[in-house]
Amino acid sequence: MTRLDARLARSAILALPIALALAGPALAAAEGGGGLPQLDTRTYPSQIFWLIVSFALLYRLLKTKAIPRIADILETRQDRIGADLDRAARLRADAEAALKKHDSILAEAQARAQQRLREAQERVAAELARHQAELDADIARRLRDAEARIAAAKKAALGEVATVAADVVRAAAARLAGLEVGPEEARAAVNRVLSAGAR
Amino acid sequence: MADPLQQFEIRPLVPIQIGGLDLSFTNSSLWMLIAVGTAYWLLIAGTRQHALVPGRLQSVVELAYEFVAGMVRDNAGKEGLRYFPLVFTLFLFILMGNMLGMLPLPFGFTFTSHIIVTFTLALGVFLGVTILGFYLHGTHFLTFFVPHGAPKVMLPLLVPIEVLSYCVRPISLSVRLFCNMMAGHTMMKVFAGFIVTLFSYWAVPAIAPLAVTVALTGFEFAVAFLQAYIFTVLTCIYLHDAIHMH
Repeated sequence: MTRLDARLARSAILALPIALALAGPALAAAEGGGGLPQLDTRTYPSQIFWLIVSFALLYRLLKTKAIPRIADILETRQDRIGADLDRAARLRADAEAALKKHDSILAEAQARAQQRLREAQERVAAELARHQAELDADIARRLRDAEARIAAAKKAALGEVATVAADVVRAAAARLAGLEVGPEEARAAVNRVLSAGAR
Repeated sequence: MADPLQQFEIRPLVPIQIGGLDLSFTNSSLWMLIAVGTAYWLLIAGTRQHALVPGRLQSVVELAYEFVAGMVRDNAGKEGLRYFPLVFTLFLFILMGNMLGMLPLPFGFTFTSHIIVTFTLALGVFLGVTILGFYLHGTHFLTFFVPHGAPKVMLPLLVPIEVLSYCVRPISLSVRLFCNMMAGHTMMKVFAGFIVTLFSYWAVPAIAPLAVTVALTGFEFAVAFLQAYIFTVLTCIYLHDAIHMH
């Protein structure tokens, strides 16, 4: 009902100027020639006529000339902005695609690098193992050789000992008992004792 | 003191009589044509550059265009834009009439300060909108006068009120514009007259009516724009009623 109230109020407010407008001519008439120029009805035909003429003229000028020009400018700008926005969106999509591609290339390269690294590691490990085995074999061989040599040296040294012992035996026998013992005899005696000791 | 109403006098410049009617070319007619010329010149000069980035004048033109287009769109909807050229013409014509009337010229004249001019404009709007309403909706347009949701018993009372309030539209529309322009201009003249009268007796206090006149001048410019705006916006609202009914 507020809408109705507003309308009623508006009607009431409007009643005043209407009354004034209606009372106007009477007022003008009462004052004679010096009334409101606005209420001089003799000027009405001319005012209405020229109003219609000039309004129609302006309408025609605007509709056929001015408004199309302004609309064209605004439309051109709108198109331009729209085209720019489209282009920006397209460039953005391109950039995103490039980024995606870049990422995939990077990932691929990383995968490949990992693969290579793994291969290299495996190769190095294999090489290392092989070297280790070779080295181990070499060391074992050398050890064996050294042991053999030591054994031979020991044998030789033991042989030497027997000869020296035989000489000592001969010298001792000559000094102590005045017996002349032949080298072969002394040798045989030493060997007998040695083998007895070894037994 | 000069008669403050003298500014409203219609003076024939070229007497023309056609079929017993006095259609003389008057100072009012002259200012109407000046308004048409100024409005048209402004729009054409403003769009001469056809610039993508508008200059000052083009900005004014585009602003005026967007302003009225926005007004039509907001108040009458998208369908109302068909009548945009007419509304734009109406706005510019009234705005130019009001603004050019503010020029301090010895032969200055405000044609919108005459009730017959504003009434003819308002009647044109009223008749156009009413015919449009009946054209678009046929007799269904008559239901516009039946308020929604009102009790049936109240209708015999409400419908005449609605019809009256509708028919009073051209009067309210025209009287609002005419009264504002006439009252404002009269006030300005009255206070300007005070300056002269007071100055001839006693110079210094004449500054008071001068200050008032300065303030009123600024005020009048605001009113000149505002009344053009109000007239146009109401036209848009009436258009909305005719196109969409409620």
